[in-house]
Amino acid sequence: MQERGYCMNSFTEQEQGLSEYQANLEIFMQVPLFSGLPLDPLKLLAYLSTRESYKADEVIFQQGEVDGNAYFIITGKARLILDENDSKKVIKEYGEGDFIGGLSLFCRTKRLFSLQAAAKTVCLVLTREKLEKTLEQFPGITRKILEEILATVYQWEFRFVTEYGRNCSSCLGALGVSLV
Amino acid sequence: MITKRPLFYWVKTGSMKLQILLLIVIVVTVGARVVPLEMQKNIVNKAIAMRRVDLLFMYCWLYLAAVVLAGGLKYASAVLQTYIGQEALSRIRKELYAHILTLPHDFFRKASSGMIVSALVTEVATAGEFVGQAVAVPLTNLLTLIAFAAYMFYLNPLMALLSFVTYPIVIIIVPRLQARSNRANKQRVDTTRKISSKIGETITGIHEVHANGSYRIENRKYGGYVDQLFKIRVIWILYKQGAKALNSFFQNLGPFILFLVGGWLAINGRFDLGALVAFLSAYEKLYDPWKELMDFYQIYQDAHVSYGRIMEYFDVAPPHLLEAPDGKVQQFEGTISVKDVSFTVGNNINLLKQINLELKPGNQLALVGFSGSGKSTLAQCIAQLYDYTGGSIRIDGAEVFELTKKDVARNIGVVAQAPYIFDGTIRENLLYSCEALLDSDSPEEKEKLPGLDEMIQVMQQVGIFVDVLRFGLNKVIAADQEKELVQKLIRIRHNFRKEFGEELEEYVEFFDLRSYLYFSTVAANLTFGNPNADEFALEQLPSNAYFLDFLDRAQIKNPLVNLGRELTEQAVDILGNLPPDEAFFQNSPISIDEFDDYKALILRTKGLRLHEISDEDRHMLLRLALRFVPGIHKMVGLPKMLENLLLDSRHMFMGTVAKDRPGAVAFYRMDDYIHTQTVLDNILFGKPRGDQPKAQDQVNQRIIQLLIEEDLLERVVEIGMNFAVGTKGDRLSGGQKQKLAIGRIFLKKPPVLIMDEATSALDNRSQQRIQNLLETKWKGKSTVISVVHRLDTIKGFDKVAVMKSGKIMEIGSYEELIARKGLLYELVHGARAGA
Repeated sequence: MQERGYCMNSFTEQEQGLSEYQANLEIFMQVPLFSGLPLDPLKLLAYLSTRESYKADEVIFQQGEVDGNAYFIITGKARLILDENDSKKVIKEYGEGDFIGGLSLFCRTKRLFSLQAAAKTVCLVLTREKLEKTLEQFPGITRKILEEILATVYQWEFRFVTEYGRNCSSCLGALGVSLV
Repeated sequence: MITKRPLFYWVKTGSMKLQILLLIVIVVTVGARVVPLEMQKNIVNKAIAMRRVDLLFMYCWLYLAAVVLAGGLKYASAVLQTYIGQEALSRIRKELYAHILTLPHDFFRKASSGMIVSALVTEVATAGEFVGQAVAVPLTNLLTLIAFAAYMFYLNPLMALLSFVTYPIVIIIVPRLQARSNRANKQRVDTTRKISSKIGETITGIHEVHANGSYRIENRKYGGYVDQLFKIRVIWILYKQGAKALNSFFQNLGPFILFLVGGWLAINGRFDLGALVAFLSAYEKLYDPWKELMDFYQIYQDAHVSYGRIMEYFDVAPPHLLEAPDGKVQQFEGTISVKDVSFTVGNNINLLKQINLELKPGNQLALVGFSGSGKSTLAQCIAQLYDYTGGSIRIDGAEVFELTKKDVARNIGVVAQAPYIFDGTIRENLLYSCEALLDSDSPEEKEKLPGLDEMIQVMQQVGIFVDVLRFGLNKVIAADQEKELVQKLIRIRHNFRKEFGEELEEYVEFFDLRSYLYFSTVAANLTFGNPNADEFALEQLPSNAYFLDFLDRAQIKNPLVNLGRELTEQAVDILGNLPPDEAFFQNSPISIDEFDDYKALILRTKGLRLHEISDEDRHMLLRLALRFVPGIHKMVGLPKMLENLLLDSRHMFMGTVAKDRPGAVAFYRMDDYIHTQTVLDNILFGKPRGDQPKAQDQVNQRIIQLLIEEDLLERVVEIGMNFAVGTKGDRLSGGQKQKLAIGRIFLKKPPVLIMDEATSALDNRSQQRIQNLLETKWKGKSTVISVVHRLDTIKGFDKVAVMKSGKIMEIGSYEELIARKGLLYELVHGARAGA
């Protein structure tokens, strides 16, 4: 127990003498959704967000749940899983530096997938409540975040069309997300 | 209605006894004022003229007695006036507030709270001042005037007539000046209001000002109003002062005539000298009452204007009676019938059109539809929160519009979308709706409130029980309280360690002499024990000379001051420009109240070396450092070197205290209750690592089990119910607030229950629990109208109504509507199924 320490700082952070808050701030500055924001709201986000650790195979969020959190994987990895009538399909794997669930910060939607830790994993977690508190103070940034989200959706579909679209006739019917 | 009452109403309805007492005081005062004049005459004419020393003494003593009496009575009447005036003022404030609370929603949409505050707090003050003076001042001064005048006529009618010759001029001119002053005063009141709503607006939108750097624009707008006020105030005061100056000019003109005529008469021997002296001083004395009358006239005019302005502003009739004239409250079963209801606002904007629906008692209806379809509006119309503009809504045959507020409160329970939680304890908030139904605040009435068992049951139903338990667990129990509870808690501590110690090591930081406690304060890490002597209590440590001396000897004072500085710098950097909201200060070692002091300290000490900082400031920083908990205040890290120093110091402290102050600190032992720590920490004999819900769940489950075994669960929850939720419930999460709001309505058990997206801030499990409750406990008991935002919960309702742009498009049971494959089918199976 003794060597566990009080927070889940990675070694590099401690070596650099950064506090958890400062390390969080650097993370927010590299997540595309937030990186374009001015420093003050970023500081507040870094201050308000928390770290959580998960054991291997622990569920981070469950399909069908409305948790309203966004996760940044600091260390470890996690599997994205689609539950379909008792069969679990692993869709993809996220690793260190991935940011997951930005949309659920803004829209009260049910999770379409489950996220499960694939190894011992530490995440930086931002809840909807904390984000709302920040937006209350800096209402101007909502627009910037919205633009970033829309750009991401557009990019996603752009890539989909150029990479798969032509070769996958069954996918064509489902296209058009960027036209909402 | 209060707004129709004239200003004099408050004079008439004040305490009659006081007014009569005041009258008596006034009459005696006036008498006492005339006596010195007569004495003056007697001293000159009798005592001095006849060279009688004994008479001189007698008259002088009488003179003195009259002056002392008049002075004392004047003070007495001032006291009475103040009392009467302030009493009236508080009555106006209370009744006006009560009136404002009953005004319709519409009113508050237009009125700014700044204006209401300034009306209630400052503007009514002149009215109070006037009411205090309304009887005393005019009466005293008129009587005094008449008494002096009569005395002057008695001395010499011709001279008396001459001295009053200027008064009619004043009486003609002054009201004209006053009329202009009133006009300015009206403008002043209006402009002051504009300024206060402008300030309100700027402050609400301060972020825009900062974001746009629009300081110049806002200063210009505000400056415009201030300039306007400046001009108006100057004009107002000029007219007021003009009237005063004019008055005193004519008043001073008097002696001129008196000297001329009186001197001539005296030279000719037709007027004795003593009478002339008495006359002149009588004339001088006329000035005071006359001036006071003038002042009173102005106060009356000002009060009249501002009072009129206030009452005009709030002159809106409350649309519903608060209670029936006979005090009867109707009790309904819950049949709801809505016929052709429409709701139109502004320029023919129809929010509801031709709504029809019928619900039998105990039926449950779900209202669904896109946002803006009018489902919330319909629910609010049924709850009398909005007044529908057409058609009829009846509950048990009674038209909702005609119900009194008491009828509505007794029969309808509303859980709003964004419920408002008031400052106070959890218990007070839970009982809020029930307490509102009581007829008075008397202890007998209070007994009608739900008891502890019922409250606990409801807290379990709405799912806030565990949260409240948690608040109870976070309570610190003082040294001499709850002896029995403390004993049981120590038993639980042992059981906890034995049964779950190993399993929960990951979530709990157990107290361990050899390791640094990351979830305890620096001070607790150093003392590592329970203070028996008050001076060693954690909050006393920064001012404990022995402890400070110890820090010096252990050579950790400077590193700690430095840590305090770093903490302050970071906290000010992050939170410096944010509003004082609890949510922002949960992870800050500086509390909301101290924040400004520390902010000033940082400015003050900027660029200084540690040793250049003043002793007081160093002390402030040290105090902060001693409070630092690395696991919570993550804005600053605890350097490994300092950590080791602190650990060494802990051992050193144990040694020195045991030697110098034996018994002052009882070091942590498994068998001793720690009165400086919370109930939870005492059970854990450690601190929970962080506040992650997952960790909390794990620990909670085990603790609940042990509390049940010791029969302590309800006791701890009861302690938790005294948790203060903070203004607007700031110390609660959104979900907790919503659960509390549902709980307070469930406790009231209304026959009609209206839930307006009442569970939108709850997690899945809590939503499901509340839904189950509606389908079991409330089924058949209350008529439920629920505005639903998630379609997976609507299967259990008797009826579902789908709304679109203010109309009910289809209504029926869930199965019927799905089978019909209409709008509901589309909504359920459509693209938004996930929403």
